[in-house]
Amino acid sequence: MTTEIASAVPPRRKLSVKASSKADRTFYGVATVAAYSTIVLVVAIIFFLTLRAWPTFEKFGFINFVFGSGWDNTIDNPSFGLGPMLYGSFLIAGIGVVLAVPMAISIAYFIEFMAPKPIAKGTALLVDLLAAIPSVVIGLWGLSIFSPVGAHWGELLHNAFGFIPIFENDAENFQRTPFIAGFIVAVMIVPIIASITREIFSQIDQDLISASLALGANREATFRKVILPTAAGGIVGGVLLALGRAVGETVAIFFVLNLIFDEVNWFRIVLPEGGAVASLILAKFAEATADEVSALLAAGVVLFGFTLIINTIASYIVVKAQPWRK
Amino acid sequence: MENKVDLLPVARPQSASPWKKISTRSRGLLVAVSLIPAVLFLAALSLLQLDFMSALLLLFLPLQIISSGAAGLILFGKRGIRDGLLIVVTLFLGSFVFVLLSSVLWSVLVAGAATLSPQFIYQNNVYVAPTTGLEIGGVGHAILGTLLVVGLTTLITVPLALATAVYLTETRGKSRGLIRTLLQAMSGLPSVVTGLFIYSMLILSGFSSYAGWAGSLALIPLMLPTVSRVAEESLRLVPVELRNGALGLGASAWSAFSMVTFPAAKSGLVTAVLLGVARVIGETAPLLLTTTLANKTNLNMLEGGISTLPTYIYGYVSLGYDTSIQRAWGAALVLLMVVGILFVAARIVSRPKSAKKRK
Repeated sequence: MTTEIASAVPPRRKLSVKASSKADRTFYGVATVAAYSTIVLVVAIIFFLTLRAWPTFEKFGFINFVFGSGWDNTIDNPSFGLGPMLYGSFLIAGIGVVLAVPMAISIAYFIEFMAPKPIAKGTALLVDLLAAIPSVVIGLWGLSIFSPVGAHWGELLHNAFGFIPIFENDAENFQRTPFIAGFIVAVMIVPIIASITREIFSQIDQDLISASLALGANREATFRKVILPTAAGGIVGGVLLALGRAVGETVAIFFVLNLIFDEVNWFRIVLPEGGAVASLILAKFAEATADEVSALLAAGVVLFGFTLIINTIASYIVVKAQPWRK
Repeated sequence: MENKVDLLPVARPQSASPWKKISTRSRGLLVAVSLIPAVLFLAALSLLQLDFMSALLLLFLPLQIISSGAAGLILFGKRGIRDGLLIVVTLFLGSFVFVLLSSVLWSVLVAGAATLSPQFIYQNNVYVAPTTGLEIGGVGHAILGTLLVVGLTTLITVPLALATAVYLTETRGKSRGLIRTLLQAMSGLPSVVTGLFIYSMLILSGFSSYAGWAGSLALIPLMLPTVSRVAEESLRLVPVELRNGALGLGASAWSAFSMVTFPAAKSGLVTAVLLGVARVIGETAPLLLTTTLANKTNLNMLEGGISTLPTYIYGYVSLGYDTSIQRAWGAALVLLMVVGILFVAARIVSRPKSAKKRK
């Protein structure tokens, strides 16, 4: 009896996920080819840049090129060192981040927890719009409108705190300083940090906040002890993403910064001397000789490498900080 | 009739969150503490001729903190002081960002409107020297150049990016994680690097001279991650039940996608494209490294100089004359209007259907 039933049950069919029809195969094929073209694109970027930059790395040595100083093409034996520019990039990005983080967190807190709904919506829209303004327009604004104001602020800082080495200035000129460039960068990265922070804030469990308030904590304690620790990871990731953007910023910094190629301006932020790798590429590109073009491409490779590292860490942190996603 | 049943034996609280209640007296106090420092600050500013920024930071901010702290102390006791501090700092920094943003928009609007005129929109710059007055010459050629360059980029990138998004959401491909990581990395690519890439690949190797199509190619790595990530998000928002329903009815993967998933995600995909265009339309550095400026209208993408709005702005700012910077402001206003239109269009398209007015 049992054997009869067993033979009546049809044998188990092999389930297959393979596409059977022609349309399906084309559909999957097109999608796969397109997706793999992304890999091809990234490999091509790395390959072609490194190919042309190789002579420079070979001639000066990788370490020497990246950390050495001096960019001179006028002498017989031209020397190219990226050190001052690279340090300058990070100095400006650092100033930008330090200025932008408090502003961005404030805006995010205002939108998520303080403002009535219509005002919050309007502010959020405005911040998103700021993110969409092209950097060349911000650069034009920085050059024509903000530079005089920023120079004045720099002078005030120098007059008040001139005894601290950071605000030293012996040039009697406060235009085109890293401080101004950092401020311009801050204007550009505030929306990035603010929108990521806002997203994290909005995903915090509302019950957690209500519970904290119901337990008798005031708003400040709730912010400091509940909201901020929960959102910290995401904010750090957002800041790193913004840092990557700030290091790669080109045109706006080129407009408002005085580039000094042969020595490092370590910390004097109101002195009109600074550096930025991306702006260096733009400044030297037009009149570059063959040697120099190779060196500029090498600078591009270094810039690419650094932003890649920063961005990878950042996106890893952002994903880790939102365990509730997926 | 007499024994009326009380349907609400327990009085429900008036408000679901009692800590949000504010009495009239405290409301008056709050208005007072926010007005007094402002009035004092303005009075000191006009009477003593102080420097605005230092007075703002050294006079207004401490006064505001003290008065808000006092209000918090009166209303909520000791712990109210920190609340007052939090509110003051948040509002102060928030309004600082607001002032910066308004300054950017306002200056572009004012300076740009002074330049803008019908002939500024449609004329090109053939008979214009850097110091020529604003009566002749305009950004017509740059607008056409932007349309061509960004148009070609869009034509190439959009199918690629949408197919990539499909690969990431609709297939069970093995390299989804890798490709997602690469897209993430590409979205942080500095724009000047993509310019250098196309320069070293096409121009340095003598394959092409500076031309519009090289500029278009340089914009692809910038647009691709934006479009495919937003598209991926919107495809992911389509409910699994819809897909499974289609597949359960016997549809093949392609017909399930083209007849169910794609129509459901259409508005999100359009938003992705619009955001991608808005992302690259203002990019300057890649175009500076791959195209050259031109004064006359050039519709040939394969050779010759071609101006676009961002490079036009860059070129005229670099010239440094007053009138040339004035022209740059005009072009900036045109560029900002284009970006604004794209942005608003993306918002309208992506708005959920139920929020639209029902007839």
